[in-house]
Amino acid sequence: MVVKSKLPTYNLYIGCSVPVNYPNYEAAMLKVAQAFDMELIYLEDVACCGSPNLRAFDYMGWMTVNARTLAIADKNGYDIVTPCNGCFASLKDVYHHLKHDDETRTKINKTLKKEGLEFKGTAKPRHFVEALYHDIGIDEIKKKITKPLDGVGIAIHYGCHLLRPADVTEFKPEYLQELVEATGASVVEYPLWKQCCGATVLPVDEDLAIRLARDKLKSMKEAGAVFATVVCPACGNQLDLQQLGLKESYGEIYNLPVLVYPQILGLALGMDDEEVGLGMNRVPANPILDHLSD
Amino acid sequence: MTETDETTGPPVTLIDAIDMSKLDPKFREKIKSMPNGEALAACFACSTCTAACPTANMWKFKPHQLIRMILLGMREEVLSSNEIWLCLTCYECQERCPQKVRVTDIFFDCKNLAAEEGNIPANVLALAKELLTKGQLYTVTADWEREDMGLEPEVPGLSVEAIKRILKDTRTKKLVGGEE
Ligand code: SF4
Ligand code: SF4
Repeated sequence: MVVKSKLPTYNLYIGCSVPVNYPNYEAAMLKVAQAFDMELIYLEDVACCGSPNLRAFDYMGWMTVNARTLAIADKNGYDIVTPCNGCFASLKDVYHHLKHDDETRTKINKTLKKEGLEFKGTAKPRHFVEALYHDIGIDEIKKKITKPLDGVGIAIHYGCHLLRPADVTEFKPEYLQELVEATGASVVEYPLWKQCCGATVLPVDEDLAIRLARDKLKSMKEAGAVFATVVCPACGNQLDLQQLGLKESYGEIYNLPVLVYPQILGLALGMDDEEVGLGMNRVPANPILDHLSD
Repeated sequence: MTETDETTGPPVTLIDAIDMSKLDPKFREKIKSMPNGEALAACFACSTCTAACPTANMWKFKPHQLIRMILLGMREEVLSSNEIWLCLTCYECQERCPQKVRVTDIFFDCKNLAAEEGNIPANVLALAKELLTKGQLYTVTADWEREDMGLEPEVPGLSVEAIKRILKDTRTKKLVGGEE
């Protein structure tokens, strides 16, 4: 373990889904970062990542937009962290592509030059939880836990674009698993843990998207999860908000609170429910609050 | 989830006669030249990708068939298929392919080619328009929620102009056309 002399500093790429749909995720992440002396600097003048949708119909446009963001971060050289799997996938994929394909990099840099920018590949895009895992570390995190979530069963939904393709994302399921366990909670294993939440297919086939969310929720519930955790606003929409839709379309009530990981960690660090914005979660998070007030 | 229903309908192989005159021999080369298409020809039709797919049981053409169709040059069928757009981009197939065929990435390539020919689902085209005209996919409607959490009311650091500027020189502009 290297002894750190100065604050770990990052460029924060917040995307547009988190700030619009999950201000509680944004706030909880900022507070958790502060608790561990991580300095997050919001990237300025950056564009929306376009999501996998833009990649599907305009590969060059998608590459250029994300290469531009990477190039802006290259100006100070600090790694980029993001709380969104969609933004992470876009940035990481483009980063990977440009690192390995000189021809495309030259072409993209020509375009970026018009904006006074250059992709150098110094600033690496990372998911916020991966930075927590590697740069802060489980031991340091455990030291700061004051309200352990002893024994609460949490089902983890990682999200496809966090885990796969593994050679690009470089994220291992153990990272998030250990982060959840560091709070004292126990991780509930469930058969469909790898399966997609359905978010990407929403614009093309809403029924299929709902069915996929339903499969996941069922699998989690049946395995005995008290609540679920996600690290992506799109997955959050599918598993939390979609529970309201499932009540309408299938007449099914799951009552499975879905918290973003920084909310869970924040609570275990002793923050109260307002600080981590629990009131904004669509499915009321009572079980966890009851547990904490015991 | 991962089973294919073989009790009714044709077996999971291509049984219809293929009209050779409609095959495009250049199609496979085209895909191979696109991002992550290199390993395409390594496919040995084991259908592991299909077994791994959470949704292929609802598809007419399964992932391993689509790969085979690309290799055969069935350009028209592949690029006009709904399947490429119904793909969840979950990468379950790609991660399990023993031949390292980047199946999901290849479907992304197919979607790009389909879009180039104007084959794009209406709701996806609507997103293209959203990005080109508004420069973002989500717009703040409840700024009080942000303020409640002690955050600035607008999306921090977001430039809507940058993406509009870039996409007006790329395929997005062509797709959305003059209806901006
Ligand atoms: S898993 Fe790979 S080798 Fe097997 S059929 Fe699918 S693409 Fe081909
Ligand atoms: S990426 Fe697409 S084709 Fe591959 S397993 Fe997922 S849904 Fe199926």
